[in-house]
Amino acid sequence: MQRTIKALFAILLAVSLGMFAFAAEPQAGGRLVVAMGTDPESLDYMTMSSSPAANVFMHIVEGLYQLGLDGNPIPVLATGHEVSADGLVWTLFLREDVVFHDGTPFNADAVKINLDRFIPGARFKFLLSKVVDVEVVDDYTIKLYTEEAFAPMIAHLTHGFIGMISPASIEAAGEELINEPIGTGPFVFAEWVRGEHILATRNENYWGEAPYLDEVMWRIIPEDAARVIALQTGEADVIFRVPPDDIPILNADPDTTVVHTDSVRNLYIGFNTQREPYTDIRVRQAINYAVNKEDIVQYVLSGAGRVADAPIAPGIFGYKQAGPYEYDVEKAKALLAEAGYPDGFKATLYHPTGRYLMDASIAEAVQAQLRDVGIEVELVTMEWATYLAFTRKPVEESELEMYLLGWGTVTGDADYGIYALFHTTQWVPDGSARSFYSNAQADLLMDTARVMPNPTLRDGIYGELIDLLWYEAPWLYLHSEVQINGQRANIHGLVYHQNERIIVTEAWIE
Amino acid sequence: MASYILRRLLLVIPVLLGVSLLVFSMVRLIPGDPAIFIAGEHATEEDIDAIREEFGLNRSFPVQYWFFLRNLVRGDLGRSTRTDRPVGVEIWERLPNTLKLASVSMLIASVVGLIAGIISATRPYSFLDYISMVGAMIGVSTPVFWLGLMLMLLFSVQLNWLPAAGAKTFSHIILPAITLGAASTAVIARMTRSSMLEVFNQDYIQTARSKGLREGWVIIKHALRNALVPVVTVMGLRFGTLLGGAVLTETVFAWPGIGRLMVGSILARDYPVVQGAVLVVACTFIFVNLAVDLLYSFIDPRIRFE
Repeated sequence: MQRTIKALFAILLAVSLGMFAFAAEPQAGGRLVVAMGTDPESLDYMTMSSSPAANVFMHIVEGLYQLGLDGNPIPVLATGHEVSADGLVWTLFLREDVVFHDGTPFNADAVKINLDRFIPGARFKFLLSKVVDVEVVDDYTIKLYTEEAFAPMIAHLTHGFIGMISPASIEAAGEELINEPIGTGPFVFAEWVRGEHILATRNENYWGEAPYLDEVMWRIIPEDAARVIALQTGEADVIFRVPPDDIPILNADPDTTVVHTDSVRNLYIGFNTQREPYTDIRVRQAINYAVNKEDIVQYVLSGAGRVADAPIAPGIFGYKQAGPYEYDVEKAKALLAEAGYPDGFKATLYHPTGRYLMDASIAEAVQAQLRDVGIEVELVTMEWATYLAFTRKPVEESELEMYLLGWGTVTGDADYGIYALFHTTQWVPDGSARSFYSNAQADLLMDTARVMPNPTLRDGIYGELIDLLWYEAPWLYLHSEVQINGQRANIHGLVYHQNERIIVTEAWIE
Repeated sequence: MASYILRRLLLVIPVLLGVSLLVFSMVRLIPGDPAIFIAGEHATEEDIDAIREEFGLNRSFPVQYWFFLRNLVRGDLGRSTRTDRPVGVEIWERLPNTLKLASVSMLIASVVGLIAGIISATRPYSFLDYISMVGAMIGVSTPVFWLGLMLMLLFSVQLNWLPAAGAKTFSHIILPAITLGAASTAVIARMTRSSMLEVFNQDYIQTARSKGLREGWVIIKHALRNALVPVVTVMGLRFGTLLGGAVLTETVFAWPGIGRLMVGSILARDYPVVQGAVLVVACTFIFVNLAVDLLYSFIDPRIRFE
C-alpha cells in the first residue's frame, strides 16, 4: 500500500514537475503592450529629461554601462575600464561584436561622436560635466579625461540618457533632433504616434540574447483609472503606477497582479537651516522624533513606501543604515523645551501636489502629528512648476521654512544623492541644496569621497557621512517610494528596475 | 454676401491679435518658470540660464511678443520648450484627432438631441417628454470624467464590447464621442423642444394643419425648419467648445488631441505650445461661428447679410 502511494507520489511529482517545466518554457512571439502615464518628451538624449523617456529609450539605444539591480554598474557596450592612478583618465574598453540597427559598426568613433554631442548640449549634460576631453585610442578603446578626479564616473555612465546612437543618423539629423532613434538595443524603433503609442520590433541581429517578443508597444494612457481598466480588459499587459486604492482590485482578479518594487527616490521635508528656529539641531531632531513615519507609510501610502533610515535609499552605492528616528512624542517635547520652545512654535510647510505619490496627504499627516508637540503648521500647497521656481530662490530671498521634496538618485551612487543636496557650494540656485545646510566636516567627507578611487574606502567615508547627516538632521527624513506597477498573469520575465523602468527584453507571453 | 464674408474674415485679424496678446500675457503671469521646469530638480543655475537663452526667455516681455508676432506672420509658431519640436508640428499631429472626436460626438449629439427634442415638443408633458427631459438634465449635469469611467467599466470591463483607451480603430472613438457628446445632446434636445413649442403656437402652423397636411410634414417642413435657427446657433457654439475643450474626455480615454496637449503644456509652462494651441482653437471657433451665421440664410431665406 505504502509503496503504491509512494509510486503515485513519484508519478504526481514527475507530472507536476513536467508541467511546471512546460509552463516555465519561454515562448517566442507576440506583442507586449506597456501602458504608461506620460508621453516621452523626446527619444533623443539631447532633450530627454523624464523617466518615461528613459524607459522606452533604453530598449532601443544602449549605453556603455547600465545600473544593475544591486546598485552596481554592469558593462553593456563596454567590457571594462581602467582608471589612472591620479584618477584623471578613464580608459574604457568596448565590445567588438556590435552593429547599430542601420548596419553601422559600433566602435570608439561612434562613442566619441555621441559623447561629443552629449557633453556640451544635452539637457542632462551635468552627468558628464567633469569630462573635458574624449580621445579615441584605437577602434575599441576610448579615453575620458577629467580636470579633477571624479570617482562616480562609471556610475554616471550607467544613466540611461547616455546612449549610443548610430553616427550615421546623427550626421543625417545635423543640428535637428533625432525623432527615430537608431541604437544597438534589443528592439528596433518602428513608429511613434505622439500621445498615443511608440512601437518597436525585435532586433534579429542583437549582439546579446535576442528578445522573445516580436514587438513591444508603449501606450500612453494618462488617467490612472483608465490604465487600470486597460490592464483588466487586456488592452495593456503591463501598467506603470497603480493607484493605491486599486491594488486590492487587481490582486483579487486572477488575471492580474500588482508588483511592488523599491525605488531610489527619497521623500523628505527639508528645513531652511539658516532660519530660526531650524538653525537649532535640537528642533530639527525633535521634528524627526515627532513624526510617525510608519503610520504615514502604512495609512497614507497603503504600504507603498519604506521608512527612511538614511538620506539615501538602499540599493545605492554608499548606503548605510543610520536610523530610523523612532516615533517618540515625549523625547520630541523634551528636545523642544531644551531648545527654548516648550510650547512649540508656528511653522509653514510648503509642498507640491500631484508630483509624488500622495504628496499633499503626507503634508497633512505631518501637520496633524506636529500639532501633538505644539508646532502649529500652516500648509501652503503649490502646483509643481510654481513650486520648483519658488524653492529655487537664493538664501537671502528664500521664504522657505519647511518644504516637501523628493530626489531620485538615478546614478545609483551616493555622490549624486548627497553632494548636490548637502554640500555648502551647492545651495540653490547654484545647486539643489534647498536647506542651505553647511557643515565643514560633512563638506570634507563629500569632497574626499568624490575623488577616492578605492570603492571600499569610499563606502566607508559615505558611512561616516551618512551617520553625521542623520544626527544633524537638516531634513525630516520620511521614506523612499515603492513603485506599484501592475501586470497580467500570463506575462513572464519582466524586470522591474529600481530606476522606474520596466525592462521587457527577456519578457515572454504565455 | 461675398463682401459680408470678406468683412467677417478681415475682422478675424484684430480678434486673433487680441487673443494672442491675452494668451501671451496670461501664460507669463502664472507663477513658475519654463526654464526651471525643463531643467528639473537637478539643475544648476548655469543650465537654467542656458535654456532661457535658447528659448529667448531672458528677453523683455515686449521684445518676446514682438518676436512672436514676427514669426507668426511667417507662419512660424516657435518651438516647444518641452520637446524642442516645432509647435506647428505638435499641433498638426493632434488636430485631426480632435476634429475627428468633436465631429463624431457632434453628429451623435445632433441626431439624438434633435430626435429627443422633437419627440418632446410634439408630445409635451407626456411620459416620453419627461423621460427625455430628465435624461437631458442628467446628461448636462454628469461630470465627463465620471461618465467616461462608468461607460468604460460597463462596455470595456463588464461587457468587453469596446476598447477603453487609445485612438487606433473606429471602435476606439465610440465611448469618448458619447461621453463628450452627452452634454451637447442634452442642450440640443432642450433647445429644440422649447424652440419647437414656440413655433407650434404660430398661425402658419395652424394654417398648414388646416390645409390638411399630414402632421409629420407639418412638423418637419414648417415647424422644425423655423425652429432650427436657435438650435443651429447652439450647435455651433457647442462644436466650438468641443474643439478646444475636450480636455477631460481626451485624458480619460487617452485620446491624443489638442486639449491634452494644451493641459500638458500649461503644466510644463511650455509657453509656445500653449500660445499656438490657443490661437488655433480661437481660429476654429471664429470660423465655426462664421459658418453658423452663413447657415442661417439657408435655413431662413429671410435672413440676409449686407
